[in-house]
Amino acid sequence: MIFITTILIIMALYLLAGLVFAIPFVIKGVAVIDEGARGSSWGFRLIIIPGVTVFWPVLLNKWLHASKIKRS
Amino acid sequence: MSASYVAVGWNRQKKIYDWLIAGFCFTYLLLFISVTLIVNEQVTFETLLIRSTSTLAVLLLHVILAIGPLCRLDKKFLPLLYNRRHLGVTMFTFALAHGGFSIFQFHALGNTNPFVSLFISNTNFNSFAAFPFQALGFFALLIFFLMAITSHDFWLHNLSPRVWKTLHMFVYLAYLLVVMHVMLGVIQYENNPVFVIIILAGAVTLITLHLLAGSKERKLDKRKFSLEQEGFMYVCPAEEIEDSRAKIFCIDKERIAVYRHENKLYAIHNVCKHQGGPLGEGKILDGCITCPWHGYQYLPHNGQSPPPFKEKVSTYDVKIIDGKVWLNPVPFPEGTERPGATIK
Ligand code: HEM
Ligand code: FES
Repeated sequence: MIFITTILIIMALYLLAGLVFAIPFVIKGVAVIDEGARGSSWGFRLIIIPGVTVFWPVLLNKWLHASKIKRS
Repeated sequence: MSASYVAVGWNRQKKIYDWLIAGFCFTYLLLFISVTLIVNEQVTFETLLIRSTSTLAVLLLHVILAIGPLCRLDKKFLPLLYNRRHLGVTMFTFALAHGGFSIFQFHALGNTNPFVSLFISNTNFNSFAAFPFQALGFFALLIFFLMAITSHDFWLHNLSPRVWKTLHMFVYLAYLLVVMHVMLGVIQYENNPVFVIIILAGAVTLITLHLLAGSKERKLDKRKFSLEQEGFMYVCPAEEIEDSRAKIFCIDKERIAVYRHENKLYAIHNVCKHQGGPLGEGKILDGCITCPWHGYQYLPHNGQSPPPFKEKVSTYDVKIIDGKVWLNPVPFPEGTERPGATIK
């Protein structure tokens, strides 16, 4: 019981972090990592939020890389 | 392709497809609920919701899994493939409704968190007859969830096609989990074997279709090309290739599509950059090779998608000698322009 509760709490925290990350990501980040998202509609940005909430570490990593390349 | 993304890429054809899905689901639910009410007057509203959504989801899942092999066996089924992802998201929605109603009905009324309850209320993991089948359903639903949230092409590009494809291959694991979930669940609730028989019949159908499609593909790949000259292989007589269509040849594990366009032959890699669709099974529309799966386009002479798109596939050299087509299976870098071969 404690085991399952712990896993659930960790998962909830992970998803919460993803949801927080999703806000700046769909406003700014998407267009940085994928040129196809430049000037894309709000519908598109909303529809990827569930995925961003789950796969946010991949996207964060891409975003950091993309801005590093830009700066150098 | 890579012009600006939209939320849902609707066009006329996809709209018709989606209306058909909606109509089908609505009719199914209506029929299921009326028949159940006639046969069993005591049925509760919750049970109706749980069972109508679950059986609809399983039905849709079978259709989804049958589309792939059906298209390999007969091109007539290609329109079904065109918008399969909407079918997938619809299936997930009904599965989610079923899972959600079940969790609410069986786990949300006590003091324990419903998700904890889902896993601890039944721990007979080593019993067949009392197995915690709901956990199996949960994991299947989790896979469908991951597939549904990554169904937009944005994810194909940003998780990389390889990761995306692997993730979506888990649909077969999810299917297996669903089969076990239904079989183990039904033996706990029902003594009518009809559910088990239907599910088994579905599984036999799907396995047969996959085996048939697989053996057809293997036969094509095994064709041997023995005549070779300066790196070119003889593949077929030129008149065998119809205008605006292609023939696919598999040489040294490279699948190559040889297209005929305005009395010339051009060869490009057969694998679409989108999701690996067989380009040689498509046709030329508006001067572009058009993928039969979701319509990505490539120019025959250089394998590039017309601007503003940026996809590119490899090209190959072809020549025609005395009405015979010779193909060089060594690829040029993606997007390299080739002269093609003129048919006399
Ligand atoms: C969290 C996930 C899930 C839970 C908690 C769950 C729970 C249940 C329960 C309690 C039943 C027996 C219901 C009854 O007849 O009284 C059941 C049956 C069934 N489930 Fe699930 N399920 C889940 C996921 C799924 C998924 C993903 C599918 C397929 C797409 C599915 C398909 C079915 C089918 C076909 C039946 C038999 C018909 C029925 O009794 O509804 N379930 N499930
Ligand atoms: S595989 Fe989707 S368009 Fe070719």
